[in-house]
Amino acid sequence: MLIVRDILVASAISGSLAVILVIAQRYLNDYGDCTIHINQKRDVTVKGGISLLGALTDRQIFLPSACGGKGSCGTCKCKVDNGGGPVLPTEKPLLNAQELAGNIRLSCQVKVKSDLSITIPDAIFNIRRYNAVVSEIVDYTYDIKGVTFALTEPATIDFKAGQYVQLEAPPYVNVKQKTIRAYSISSKPEDNNHIQLIIRLVPEGICTTWVHQYLQVGDPVSFTGPYGDFFIRETQADMIFIAGGSGMAPIKGMLEHLQMTGCNRRMLFFFGARSPKDLYLTEEFKAFEQVFPDFTYSPVLSRANPEDNWTGRTGYIMTYLPEAIHDPKHTEAYMCGSPAMLSSCQKDLLALGVPKENIYFDSFG
Amino acid sequence: MKQTPLEMKIQARMQPGTITLSGFLGTDERHYHAIIAEDEQTLARLGKTAEEIADRLDYFTKASWDSFVTPVVIDNLYEVETEITRGKLPCPFTHKGIYRKAITTLTHLNNGIVLRWTTLNIHLIRDHHFFEGTGSPFRLDPEQVVKALF
Repeated sequence: MLIVRDILVASAISGSLAVILVIAQRYLNDYGDCTIHINQKRDVTVKGGISLLGALTDRQIFLPSACGGKGSCGTCKCKVDNGGGPVLPTEKPLLNAQELAGNIRLSCQVKVKSDLSITIPDAIFNIRRYNAVVSEIVDYTYDIKGVTFALTEPATIDFKAGQYVQLEAPPYVNVKQKTIRAYSISSKPEDNNHIQLIIRLVPEGICTTWVHQYLQVGDPVSFTGPYGDFFIRETQADMIFIAGGSGMAPIKGMLEHLQMTGCNRRMLFFFGARSPKDLYLTEEFKAFEQVFPDFTYSPVLSRANPEDNWTGRTGYIMTYLPEAIHDPKHTEAYMCGSPAMLSSCQKDLLALGVPKENIYFDSFG
Repeated sequence: MKQTPLEMKIQARMQPGTITLSGFLGTDERHYHAIIAEDEQTLARLGKTAEEIADRLDYFTKASWDSFVTPVVIDNLYEVETEITRGKLPCPFTHKGIYRKAITTLTHLNNGIVLRWTTLNIHLIRDHHFFEGTGSPFRLDPEQVVKALF
């Protein structure tokens, strides 16, 4: 009997504590309305208790976030001048010493509990959420697709060739929540009621599997953008483009844009691939040699077999950089691809005398 | 079996569609504690530790990190390549830190064993002794790993 009584008492106590906890949470977590002061010139009022990233998104202010606010991508950084509270352990792996000293925070990890002052780039205000439908899906290779989206609301988008958007994959099959991933725009800004993305199937990738195996022409999609500062600088310098795999996307957009505007600059495009089956849009890029007065397209294969009868360039792209660069100080490099390739190319470009500030790249996040 | 809130969170993060498409448990219906316990027993029988295996995997990943052009032959016994794709992955155990989606593929040139792992696998093995569940796309079977790498 005593044991039964003790169990009942313990159950009553724990039950009471649970009720108190629920009630306390309801009131203690009610932060009321909070004001976010942005760049000392714009205020937005939000309901407290949610992440800074979420609060800004609710107000149609879209900071980049490739992981959808899970604290894993590190792209939603912004300067929190005050009101952000202490830096959380979940933020520290993604912030360097300089960023920590400069009050840079991961907006997805900062909870809005009081008024905040933040600083974000003005370009962020140009970022919007778009609704679209899939108008075309093209198989470029066995694992790369080109997907074109026709915008519905808003009907047009203003972006610079080379920038990227964040595509929202809806829940599907076992995926229970929306997934957000960043992809470079591969179409030209002049076609402002469409965007095209070039997407490679990533093993175990949630968003790329959705695109490759489930997305159909006519399906509605949403994305935010444009993001990024990977775009052509308006100088007269020679341009070296370097890309691999789906990294061709922003370069394609840049060249199609230059075709529209006209360009007399000296340009070379090195595209790295393993074998002929990894090449795509070859004829289209060779055709640019007839469009521009000084443009060369050079695919470079790393694993061409004798039976491929490949007569083009092989091995490392870096091998061909010395002959490609005529005036290093007057050369800009635009690169997109795997970090290892970009790192090697950047090292060689610097060694050849290309100024660091002239090397622009879009690494695979 | 009663679970703490943290264990429930970890179990949820290991499910398909949360961090990766297929999750970390595969077709294995056991709790992750049971998977870890059995693999630790296997390692003990084989005379190896999870840390030793993680060190070995890390050695091959680092040695092949720049192999974006061709695979590298290591120690005249292994052909190894590491392919880096877009994105990064968090640890399902809620351990801080994120891991680049870099997939290393190793082929033992004598016995033909092929192993495939990511930088996240190395962390899961070193810090959590977790080789993933049976049927998981990136499950590393301890017996095969020891046979191939030592």
